[in-house]
Amino acid sequence: MAAVLRASLTGALSLLSLLGFVLLPRLSYGAPAELRFVSWRSDSPWVWDQAIKDFEARNPGTKVVREIGPHSSTEFHDLVTQKLRNRDPHMDVFFMDVIWPAEFAAAGWALPLDEFFPVSEQQKFLEAPILANRYRGRVYGVPVFIDAGLLYYRRDLLAKYGFSPPQTWPELVRQARRILAEENEPQLTGYSGQFKQYEGLICNMMEYILGNGGALWDETGLSSSLQLASSKEAVRFVRDQIIWGISHRGVLAYQEPESLALFVQGRAVFHRNWPYAWEVANDPKRSKVAGRVGVAALPSFPGGKSVATLGGWQLGISRFSNQPRLAWKFIEFMTGSEMQKRIALFAGRAPARKALYRDADVLKKNPQFRSQFEAFTRAVPRPPVPVYIPLSNIMQRYFSSAISLPGSDIDRLAGAAARDMDRVLDLLKGK
Amino acid sequence: MKNSGRAAALFLFPSFLFVLIFSLVPIFESFRLSFYRMILTLPWLGQKFVGWQNYLDLLTDPVASHSLLTTLIFVTVTVPLEVLLGLAVALVINEPFRGRGLLRAVVLVPWAIPSTVASQMWRFIFNDRYGLFNYFLFGDQTELYLAPLADPQLALGAIMVADVWKTTPFAALMILAGLQAVPDELYEAASVDGAGGWQKFRRITLPMIKPAILLAFLFRTIDALRVFDLVFVMTQGGPADSTNVLQFYGYKKSFAEGMIGAGSAVSVLVFFLALLFALLYIRILG
Repeated sequence: MAAVLRASLTGALSLLSLLGFVLLPRLSYGAPAELRFVSWRSDSPWVWDQAIKDFEARNPGTKVVREIGPHSSTEFHDLVTQKLRNRDPHMDVFFMDVIWPAEFAAAGWALPLDEFFPVSEQQKFLEAPILANRYRGRVYGVPVFIDAGLLYYRRDLLAKYGFSPPQTWPELVRQARRILAEENEPQLTGYSGQFKQYEGLICNMMEYILGNGGALWDETGLSSSLQLASSKEAVRFVRDQIIWGISHRGVLAYQEPESLALFVQGRAVFHRNWPYAWEVANDPKRSKVAGRVGVAALPSFPGGKSVATLGGWQLGISRFSNQPRLAWKFIEFMTGSEMQKRIALFAGRAPARKALYRDADVLKKNPQFRSQFEAFTRAVPRPPVPVYIPLSNIMQRYFSSAISLPGSDIDRLAGAAARDMDRVLDLLKGK
Repeated sequence: MKNSGRAAALFLFPSFLFVLIFSLVPIFESFRLSFYRMILTLPWLGQKFVGWQNYLDLLTDPVASHSLLTTLIFVTVTVPLEVLLGLAVALVINEPFRGRGLLRAVVLVPWAIPSTVASQMWRFIFNDRYGLFNYFLFGDQTELYLAPLADPQLALGAIMVADVWKTTPFAALMILAGLQAVPDELYEAASVDGAGGWQKFRRITLPMIKPAILLAFLFRTIDALRVFDLVFVMTQGGPADSTNVLQFYGYKKSFAEGMIGAGSAVSVLVFFLALLFALLYIRILG
């Protein structure tokens, strides 16, 4: 009898503890309004920390808890979507890469913001990032800053050989070859960009492909364009001239931080990155080449136009948040003129608000914005579709396979990738 | 008697409940979902029953067959290495010598480090510019430095090295437990009969620890089939898809692409592969 009693006690206790696991986190909810903000690891974290402190100071009784995810867009996407799939109420505000709003809207994860963010307000922002935040007539995110691919170069090295910034890709390769040969410095490499198998690879490759008159896919016909001659030619150029011609092989495993590290250590002549790299490359504390760096629009192919991929980050509200109004208050603050100015001044990020490109302080700190404004307005978005991620994974696999080995069979790889993409794009047909 | 049976059932009930909630239900759910087409980012397509379609797609997808092959290569290279090295380590730390306790603790360190931390460490070791790997091989001759994680022919090897380093202690621990169960009298009797060291090892040690070795093989195989964390942190499946193991491929399908049905089919495939190996080993174990 005693045994039975003990057994049932044990059973009851374990059930209780199980319930405790499930219930406790809900009961221990604190009194001050707690806003959860999921963000990535920043290159200038103090700017964001200060912004959160200021928001809390202006909204007494509010506490912002910042959860920090991975730097890579691909990995950060996995973190945010996991919370959204689980309908996690403990995420109110999150960062969205420019390619996600369509997906998050279609899946019903992001809250439509039209009631808070009317068209009159949207018009104060650059057009491209606003378009990227719209899906079927509604708006799902507010741009914080925009990104566009830029070419950074060593002003001192180019001047030493009498070169001006290259206008075309073949010219860039010629200049790099000459400098590498003359400098005869084994640590020096010609080019550093983002060629790891991840989202950044798409951004880099798209600039060559579109710049050569090619395309990733046909948005109206919903079919892949990777097998077009112009698309394949650009991929072949990257493989033979950029990677195996003037770069170090390690670039095939680089994301933004690694490729920028190489450049700021003075080990690369040319570097492709987003606008924030200007701030880092010219900070003597973080860069050995501070003051010796130039920035220009990316080169084009002869006869073509220069193409920069549109990047950038928006803030969105989770549909599963219990406090969308407070969440909006936070977004309003973080995307307001004052904050975007601060981000431009101290994190080197290009503002999404048009007016800031005429702001004297911003232009004094970032004189390059004046000439880049036009490039920012022309930056090309990756086509917005709810199945962007599967398409991206197929393209990442293709690009990485095509450029990682000098003898890759680009025709066969492009054909296989195009078939896979067509199957995914077929899902969108008839809707 | 009847009473104690009921008591036993009651005692077992909580753990049964635990297994039910955390193992059986998810496995069953994966099975069910693998017969549906369900794409989270296209909710208007609904949840449609498609029979074996996800499995047929998996069979005909060259990316999937490539990742199956990659996984099998990973298992067949790492597991025997880990068990062999584990055996060697276990034999050493089973001998009585000064500082044995300390050495045992040291040997276990790689196993105790969280996987993501260890993976991050190996990512740095294999870095093409400042990695220890290159420094040990080439010293100051930086022009010879390799980029293992950027090379489709080396990346999988780099991940294998990290895995062997990380899990050899586990194999050693299991085999050490087997070694400690071998009674000393057997060795004494063998000495009396005039057996040498090698003979003792062949005729006594090896047969006695065979179950422990097989168990190490079993656990390591099942674990290696599910390798994920090293790939996630070190390469994300690249370069050129050369480290895209099955579990990472399935993870991408379910979690990044939101293709729940197709992703579940991959999980079920991994489950059956692991089950197959488990049955095989249990059969050998007798």
